[in-house]
Amino acid sequence: MNSIARLFKRRRLYEDLSEEIHGHLDEKTNELIDNGMPAEQAALLARREFGNVTVIEERGRETWHWAWLEALLADVHYGVRSLRKNPGFTFVVILTLALGIGANSAIFSLVNAVLLRPLPFAKPDRVVSLSRNNYYPQAGFVEMRTTLRTMDVAAYLEGWGDARVDFNLTGEGEPERLYGAAVSAELFSLLGVLPERGRVFAPGEDQPGKHREVILSYPLWEHKFKADPNVIGRQITLAGTSYEVVGVMPAHFQFPSSKTEVWVPLNLDPRANSYWDGPWVPVIGRLRDGVSIESARAEVELFQRRLLPMFPWKMPADTWKAVSVIPLRQVIVGDVQSKLLILLGAIALVLLIACANVANLLLARATTRQREMAVRATLGAGRWRICRQLLTESILLGIGGSAAGLALAYFAISWLKAILPADDIPRLASVSIDFRVLLFTAAIGVLTGVLFGLVPALELSKVDLSGSLKTGSKNVATSTHWLRTCLAITEIAFAVVLVTAAGLMVKSLWQLVHVDPGFSPESVVSGRITPDQAFCNDFSRCQSFYNTVVDRMRAVPGVRGAALVNALPLNGRVGFIAADFEGYPEEHDQKLSPLLFDSVITPDYLPVMQIPLLEGRAFVDSDTGGQAEPVALITASTARKFWPGQDPVGKHIKPAWEKQWRRIVGVVADVHEDSLSSTLPSWINGAIYEPYSTHAVLIDRHPATEMTLVVRGTTDATSLGVALRGVVRDLDPQVPVTELQTLRNVVSKSLSVSRSIMALFAVFAALAVLLGAVGVYGVISYSVAMRTPEIGVRIALGAKPRDIQRLVLGQGARIATCGVALGVAGALLATRLMTALLYGVTATDPTTFVAVTILLTFIAVIACYVPARRAARLDPLVALRYE
Amino acid sequence: MKQENERDLFPGALEMMVLRTLRRQPLHGYALVQSIKRASDDLLQIEEGSLYPALQRLLKEELVSAEWGVSTTNRRVRIYKLTPKGARHLEREVTSFERMLQGITRVLAPVKS
Repeated sequence: MNSIARLFKRRRLYEDLSEEIHGHLDEKTNELIDNGMPAEQAALLARREFGNVTVIEERGRETWHWAWLEALLADVHYGVRSLRKNPGFTFVVILTLALGIGANSAIFSLVNAVLLRPLPFAKPDRVVSLSRNNYYPQAGFVEMRTTLRTMDVAAYLEGWGDARVDFNLTGEGEPERLYGAAVSAELFSLLGVLPERGRVFAPGEDQPGKHREVILSYPLWEHKFKADPNVIGRQITLAGTSYEVVGVMPAHFQFPSSKTEVWVPLNLDPRANSYWDGPWVPVIGRLRDGVSIESARAEVELFQRRLLPMFPWKMPADTWKAVSVIPLRQVIVGDVQSKLLILLGAIALVLLIACANVANLLLARATTRQREMAVRATLGAGRWRICRQLLTESILLGIGGSAAGLALAYFAISWLKAILPADDIPRLASVSIDFRVLLFTAAIGVLTGVLFGLVPALELSKVDLSGSLKTGSKNVATSTHWLRTCLAITEIAFAVVLVTAAGLMVKSLWQLVHVDPGFSPESVVSGRITPDQAFCNDFSRCQSFYNTVVDRMRAVPGVRGAALVNALPLNGRVGFIAADFEGYPEEHDQKLSPLLFDSVITPDYLPVMQIPLLEGRAFVDSDTGGQAEPVALITASTARKFWPGQDPVGKHIKPAWEKQWRRIVGVVADVHEDSLSSTLPSWINGAIYEPYSTHAVLIDRHPATEMTLVVRGTTDATSLGVALRGVVRDLDPQVPVTELQTLRNVVSKSLSVSRSIMALFAVFAALAVLLGAVGVYGVISYSVAMRTPEIGVRIALGAKPRDIQRLVLGQGARIATCGVALGVAGALLATRLMTALLYGVTATDPTTFVAVTILLTFIAVIACYVPARRAARLDPLVALRYE
Repeated sequence: MKQENERDLFPGALEMMVLRTLRRQPLHGYALVQSIKRASDDLLQIEEGSLYPALQRLLKEELVSAEWGVSTTNRRVRIYKLTPKGARHLEREVTSFERMLQGITRVLAPVKS
């Protein structure tokens, strides 16, 4: 008999079974009567010998079931009915769970998109990066490409600085600055991505003479070229040179960065200086079949040792740091991983609090359902059967919470995308509710159902038949009371952990906001001016262009000062040189020269930015002339580091590759160039200033081409911006002006990661406190209800309302004290994990801990206040009649 | 309420006895119980009701078949009959049971003597 047919025959089978059993009992009874037993006694004996008819019938029927499925359906049916009978209860539970689950799903969708989803490349787990620690000269890459046996490799150069792959796009309306990448020809095929249109670069196209081709990003093609299907084959002008558009990449392709708008081939020219000496390139690889990451690492190790003697000059033995061959995913994800995991951990705590809350509600409800359970037990339901029924109910609630939580997560995700900095979190735009998020949400729905349902179910299924059927007495109530108290304590403890974490984040941000950046950002507007490289090949032309811009901006009404700098502080860009210090170090040839952050400025920069001069003199206009003696300013900390205990003024410094020394004419205060938490990037050893002149060359051996104008003025940012655009357009319509913003904004943007993490923690903490307070309120209210007769007696015996109030508040205070104590202990352990997120405050900051302790105790007591008042106002007559 | 674990001697024992009894003649439930009880000289305390789930299992496995009929005492009863498949199954079970019994006896024998 197959199962489908059986399904239809089942009713017949059950009826047969039932009839048969009753026939059996009948026959037995009759036989006993025939043997002379009284009818009543016979029926009883027959039943006793037979056993529990209901259970046996059920067991007989179960033979035909897909047992678990049908029992489940019955339980679900029953559960839904029971939940619908208590809409208020159901609503509160589902709302609580939705908050917890929704928040978890939202954070998980972030983790999913950033950490879990595979990179959109072919076999992404075989793609590795060789360049977490080490970049290679272009010649080194070519050598690598031809000799490595464990993997195929590709190189790329990105964006700003000496890479020179930021381009002006002209001749297509307003000039635009494009964020570019130069890539070796095999990069696309190595990653296994196909173009949306056209083709990718062919082998050999990264050789000299063949590299005037460009591939567009999808957004650029869409916006700038109006998604023109005939764009392939068109010539466009990048940096004043004609490039042929050969392809358009699909929208999801974001490598090396989500900002990349155009890809051009690297120009790997053995005759060019840049072959060995140009910007070094990061390298990625695809492991060949059957090759392990370890053997690839070993080969790169050998390769590096082989490459060193091939340099045209002597390289120090420690040129490269330890070889790292790691999955590309790790490089892309970077340090975001630990931050996201901390967030996920924190939000899991919120969910636990929500679970404790719901468990509490279920326990309260348990008291009223005791009779129902007793009836079911009498009718033959075993303990496990009742447990299963109750768990089904709580899992239903969990699933309900998941569904509502998913809706919540949908909104939370758009909020997350709005507050999180897209530049710092890779693939943020792709955060969405996908299959995996759905699965996660459903899974935590079921899991939380079990989590918060298990204790109440075990408690409630402990039925004492004789007692509860008679009176519906309070034995469950009393036995669950300590459980409920424990749950409330747990909630407070978790809330303490979260609020402490949030408190530490708030304090960090507070400290960061109050860091003096070393300049005054108030009423300063900046704009980035980016002529083509070729425009500045004739330096005097470039200098006079910039001088005119500054002069004209000074003439704008309301402007009090205008100046230029090559790289604005806190803006992520670094202009640097490798420098030699006079008399430092003694044996120089074995060491790499120190790298210095080199701010190339016009003389007014210091006053406009209000950077204090500590010693010596500032730059004057005559320092910028071509024939002037080359001079420089040094920051106080750099001077201390390289010339400790000596007067730096009058000492000399020079780019490592030049003969001519620059004289230090003054010392200026340190400026936070890199971030508010550190003055300089970790790989930079110091900072100097040079006047904008032909001497001020950067690591690429060229004077700075792009400069950022800073204007201090009383007028608002927008009109200053309009003025700057106008001035530049009048001078040269081909030069784009971008990144118009107030310095306030620049400073504020540099804090966006800290700020958004703090905001998230604040929301988590608020949720935790809210849920925790509701939990304490629930327990205390319930306990007041339970103790009503007792309180009645106390009042009747002369207790004042104040005494009663104190009694109840005291109970709340005990819960709060235990919870806070546990929570502080937990926080001491947990906050250590977030040390990396903190600034200017230790993970065990006493002020924060004390403040949180007071705050949470206070909130818990407040939550008890309403039930305490209710207790104090009890009418003793009513109270005593309560039973 | 009797505990489930007192129900059988060992898993499948009741089913074996049912099949064995039915091999002699088709019987209905009540008669089957009486027959087993009698045959075991009331040594085996079986809960009468537990016969029915066992019968349902045998029905499902198609080791027995059932038909409504009329008993000797003129009651409408459901009469169970051994199927050929059931007979084969019984054969196998008995053999394996006897082998097991033999083993147990051998192990226990020295202690006895």
